[in-house]
Amino acid sequence: MTTLTMTRLDPQSRAARRGMSDISIRNLFIIPTILFLIIFNIFPLLYSLYYSFTDFRASTNAPANWVGLANYRELLNDPFIWTNFTITAKYVIVSVAGQVVVGFGVAMLLNRDIPFKGLITTLLLLPMMLSMAVVGLFWKLLYDPSFGIINYVLGLGRFEWLSDPDMALYAVAITDIWMWSPFVMLLSLAGLSAVPKHLYEAAAIDRAGPLYTFFRITLPLVAPILMIAIIFRTMEAFKTFDIAYIMTSQPTTEMIAIRLYKMAFQEWQTGMSCAFAYIVLIMVVAITNIYVKYLNKVKER
Amino acid sequence: MTTEIELRNIQKWFGSNQVIKDFNLTIAPHEFIVMLGQSGCGKTTTLRAIAGLETIDDGDILIDGEPVQHLKCSDRDIAMVFQSFSLYPHMTVYENIAFPLRATRMGKADIDKAVKEIARILQISDLLDKRPSALSGGDMQRVAIGRALVRQPKAMLMDEPIGALDAKLREQMRAEIKRLHVKQGSTTVYVTHDQVEAMSLADRIVIMHDGKLQQVGRPEEVYLHPANLFVAQFVGSPVMNVADIDIGTADSATEIRLQGSEKGFAFGDAALTGIRRDAPVALGIRPEAVLLSHSKSNDHLSAVTTNIEPLGSHDIVDVKIGGQTLRARTESGFVAGEGQEVWVNLDPEQAHFFDRESGLSLRKAQ
Repeated sequence: MTTLTMTRLDPQSRAARRGMSDISIRNLFIIPTILFLIIFNIFPLLYSLYYSFTDFRASTNAPANWVGLANYRELLNDPFIWTNFTITAKYVIVSVAGQVVVGFGVAMLLNRDIPFKGLITTLLLLPMMLSMAVVGLFWKLLYDPSFGIINYVLGLGRFEWLSDPDMALYAVAITDIWMWSPFVMLLSLAGLSAVPKHLYEAAAIDRAGPLYTFFRITLPLVAPILMIAIIFRTMEAFKTFDIAYIMTSQPTTEMIAIRLYKMAFQEWQTGMSCAFAYIVLIMVVAITNIYVKYLNKVKER
Repeated sequence: MTTEIELRNIQKWFGSNQVIKDFNLTIAPHEFIVMLGQSGCGKTTTLRAIAGLETIDDGDILIDGEPVQHLKCSDRDIAMVFQSFSLYPHMTVYENIAFPLRATRMGKADIDKAVKEIARILQISDLLDKRPSALSGGDMQRVAIGRALVRQPKAMLMDEPIGALDAKLREQMRAEIKRLHVKQGSTTVYVTHDQVEAMSLADRIVIMHDGKLQQVGRPEEVYLHPANLFVAQFVGSPVMNVADIDIGTADSATEIRLQGSEKGFAFGDAALTGIRRDAPVALGIRPEAVLLSHSKSNDHLSAVTTNIEPLGSHDIVDVKIGGQTLRARTESGFVAGEGQEVWVNLDPEQAHFFDRESGLSLRKAQ
């Protein structure tokens, strides 16, 4: 099939003179990619699926015993795991909602003729380009109760952002909002500038007020691209590890990725953690599917 | 809907470029005004200024005697149909038409009644559940007109509303717009660059050029008595012949000689009253006033046909007299081909004379 649609190799070309056919050139480009995918993605995926049904521990030489669904049963009955899921859900909701509100709001502000618009946009995108670990480390300094600038500016005295068990998760979420709002802003800005100007003129002629115009014209037309931003950010927030791991070690901030890390590389329960990873994978796929369904519904219009 | 719109000394600059120059116009209630001009002549800007989408730098816009130039468009209560239709793509036809009513918080039952009524008038009742993307160009335009009419605005503005449609549909929609206007009687300002549209729709035509108003008048007035060379050449198809002439006498009769030609057309003095003989004058004559004949006679000049456009109902024949070419309208098949000798005369009754320098018609008084 593919060979039928392929353009024939020019017989005068250098490749042809070296005795290469167009099929061999195709293989030259595609096979490395496929090999890479198989070795680093597909093989580990299947390998860990197998381990998730065993009691394998990578720290010992003991052979892996087949235990069937025991790992999954144990995990789903473990109340501590459910606490991790609750924490993660709370974090995802706060962080993604915050990013959408801040990002979309800033995009609305930027979506007009202002001086230095390009420069401002570029500067606002900077947080996104930093490394997660770096962001976590210097926000730890900003939050510091004794010399952190946040307490100084807000006049909060010695407020414990990261060691207060009730506050720590929100402190991490705020950092995440700071870092990733620009991403939502960038996509929203693309969506906003794609709304034709004449629709706003038509709405003005139709005597629609600013709020009515926003909710009936702007928001519905930006919704599809905003939805894509939300899908990306939800998936990312769901698997958050580095920021939270670096900034704090409260039990109230132990999200599933951290729990998974501890299970796999501190407790060496390799089989069990593989099963856990699969549960997380299924959940992420499920959530993404809901979003994509909704996105398709929005896009139909 | 007996709205009067008055424009007084409107001035508008885009940077250093003045796009509306001292524009004055009074639009009577129920009147259908067509603003005609080439693209970039300021007609759309004037329309948008009336709507409130464009600010003006000087002058007054009065709606029913009230100055509105400082009001936002939502406070002027004027509806507008855009060239690009500007339908809301994410709403159904019903929601599109209901939008202006919902935006002003009208009751649900009243909205439903108004939308269904307007859909019935525009014959789009069976399209109400569709989205704009599923409609044809003509139906989209009907919906756009419906959205404008549904709230019974003080006045209707249309910016080349059928310019994006194909020729056949344009003709059909033209008739429909006329029918609607007769029925609804709302004061309407319509912008177009198509003179056929202007002639067929307008109560009065406003011709603009380069930001300046050139002439206002009923379609036949504009056609029969163009105020200047621009109007003369802009209105009418094919374009009016314009030729530089000398006015002289031969055999004690006044004669009009096309420059470059030795002989002239005998014109009665009556046709030339009030026309100065010393200034450079241009003759304007419509193709239907250029008379061709196969038989030689004394008051006709000999000419050679250079080009023939057969148009079915009539032919357009180019004839060369001296160095200049005149276009004549003949019955179809009157001249068999190029290069034939024919005899030409002009109808003095339908001749126009223009000052070459100012371009103004020299018989404006009539």
